[in-house]
Formats: sequence, structure tokens, C-alpha cells
Amino acid sequence: MNAYPLADADRVVARARRGDPAALEALYRAFEVPVYNVARRVCRSVEDAEDVLQETFLEVARSIGKYRGDGSVWGWIRAIAASKALMRLRRNRYRETEELHEDVTPYRREDGLLRMDLEAALERLPDVSRAVVWLHDVEGYTHAEIGEMMGKTTSFSKSQLARAHERLRRWLGEEMAV
Amino acid sequence: MTHLTMGQLVELRDGTTEPGTAAAQDHVAQCAHCQAELERLHQRVARLKALSTLKPPRDRWPVIRAQTTAVRRRRLAWGGVGSLALAASVTLMIFLRPQPDVLPTAPNPQAELEAAMLTSQLLEEALTEYDPERRVTDGYTARVVAELEDRISALDQELQVVELAPDPTVDRQLLQLWRQRVGLMDALVNVHLTRASNVGL
Repeated sequence: MNAYPLADADRVVARARRGDPAALEALYRAFEVPVYNVARRVCRSVEDAEDVLQETFLEVARSIGKYRGDGSVWGWIRAIAASKALMRLRRNRYRETEELHEDVTPYRREDGLLRMDLEAALERLPDVSRAVVWLHDVEGYTHAEIGEMMGKTTSFSKSQLARAHERLRRWLGEEMAV
Repeated sequence: MTHLTMGQLVELRDGTTEPGTAAAQDHVAQCAHCQAELERLHQRVARLKALSTLKPPRDRWPVIRAQTTAVRRRRLAWGGVGSLALAASVTLMIFLRPQPDVLPTAPNPQAELEAAMLTSQLLEEALTEYDPERRVTDGYTARVVAELEDRISALDQELQVVELAPDPTVDRQLLQLWRQRVGLMDALVNVHLTRASNVGL
């Protein structure tokens, strides 16, 4: 999920920088789904993800003049979206309690093992862990980048990822007998 | 036998060169359990990447458009189009004052560039508000407007080339081009406003 096509992206960005509302809408239409997807995977609720989507494109409209084309326009917009989503997490002050998130009911597979659906397991991860898993494993951010976005250390991101995978392995019924 | 921790497995999957990575690789080469865990980790991540893309339940563009328009209107509210043109003229004097061959070291070239771009955006907004497409124009004004629009269009193409060029002199060149664009836009706005005031619109 690293590249989204936008026909004539450079021209559209140039027009948006000159204040062309149609160009800004073209950017929105091209990236609304991937931005929402990142937001929804990081945030817990649809409402929060929608707010992040809106805040992201308001920021794009405000800051398009600062985009210098160093990377892809999607990379630039995605960084804004990830940052807004993490800010939303902090603002909501979700409390991460082991009890809350461990209290999930796996279902029994045909082969007899208990497991959860990956989608449900991801959803039930603590917020910060889920954000780290998504940003690192799917979006491709490095631990250093994630640590910086979260105002934490690189080690923090690494440990969150390891803990998240331990939980996912357990919830998905992938544990092996040692 | 002590197996690798999830942290070590994740490090191996990421291909990082942390201390102990070589030892972990040696262990995996000999341990069927850890090989299987590593494979499961790879598969889990592949499945995460394959999860369906979640789509927004409703179109947020109307709200975003309304908010961006409201912000621009607030910027314009202090004087309307006429005052804007006056302000733009002042800005124009600042931007188009005689430039030496070598630009003086600006305190903040990026800020100057952003100011020029903002002025250009405001003038675009002023034109949109004036809506020249819906107004009757005499032949002379139409010719002047067409000429200015052609020059702006040519300048936009030049801007696009410069914006994409990986050249250290681009910043200076970019600022000069944006200043020219502000000048042309200002002239275009003035042509429309002068014509409107002459016919009492």
C-alpha cells in the first residue's frame, strides 16, 4: 500500500498550490480511501477516522505550498494522516488495560484450535500496539519514524510491535507447543 | 533449547543488523520450531497487508470544501475585492521592486516564497469571486485579458518545470517566477476591476 496512482500528479499539485479548488478536490478524490484506511486502522472508531480524514485534507489545503515534491504526494499526505490519527489517539486518551483487550472470545476452528479472525484480533489490540503494527508492517514506516511520530523512542516502537505479534499469535491460535 | 523471542523474530524478519542478529540467524537455521514461527510471522504480516481496504462511509469533500472556502473568505473579508487588489498592489511593489543581479540574502526565503504563493492564491480567489466569465467585456479588455492569461499559462508551465528540477538554484528561480505570477495576476485583477468601475458594475 505504498503507491496510489494519480494521473498527472505533478500538474494537479502545481494547480493546488496556486489555489485551484478543483485540483484540491482531485487530490481528495485520489487519496480519500487510502487516507481513511490508515486513519481507521489506527483509530478505533469510524467517527474518529472520518475526523482524521477531514483534518488531513484541511491540512493538505493549508500546507500544499510547503510540499516540495521531495517524495511522492501520497507519502506526504499519508504522513499527515498518520500524524493526525496518532494525535487523535492521544487526545482520546484511550486507556490500555490488559484486561480489556485480553477479554476476547476466540472461536473454535474446524481443526479444534481456538482462534480469532485477524480483522477482529487487530481491532482488539491496544491502540498504540495496533497503530504500530499497522504503520510498521503494512504502511512500511520504520521504528525510528514511528517513535518520532509518537513522541517515543525507537525501542518503544519495537517492543510494542513484538508484544502485538505475541498477542496476535495467541489470539489467532498460531501458538506452537514447545 | 531456548527459542527466539518474538522481538528477535521481528528483528530477523525486518532484516535489521542488531547485535545478536547473526546468532539468531544461526539458531533459526538449526531450529525447526523457530523456522516455523518465523514463517508464521511472515504469513501473518502478509495477511495483514491483504486485509480489505476500509472505505469512508460518506463523502467528506463538501465539508472540507466549505471549510477551506470559509478560511479564504476570512482572509478576504477585511476588504473585499477592491481592497484586495490594493493590498495586492502593495504586495506587488514589494515583490517586483528592482531586483539586483544577486538576490540579497533573505531572512527566510521559504517564508517569502510562501507569501508569494499565498498572494497568488488570494488573487485567484478574487478572480473567482468577481466571476469574469459571466460578464460582458469590450474588445480591448478582452484582448488584454487574453494576453495576460496566456502569459500566466506560460508562466505556470515554466513553474512546473522549475518545481520538478533537482537543482539548488531552483529556490531563487522559483521565488522569481512566483513574483512574476503575482504581478500578472494582479494586473489581471486590475484589468477586470478597472473595467467594472468604468461601466459602473
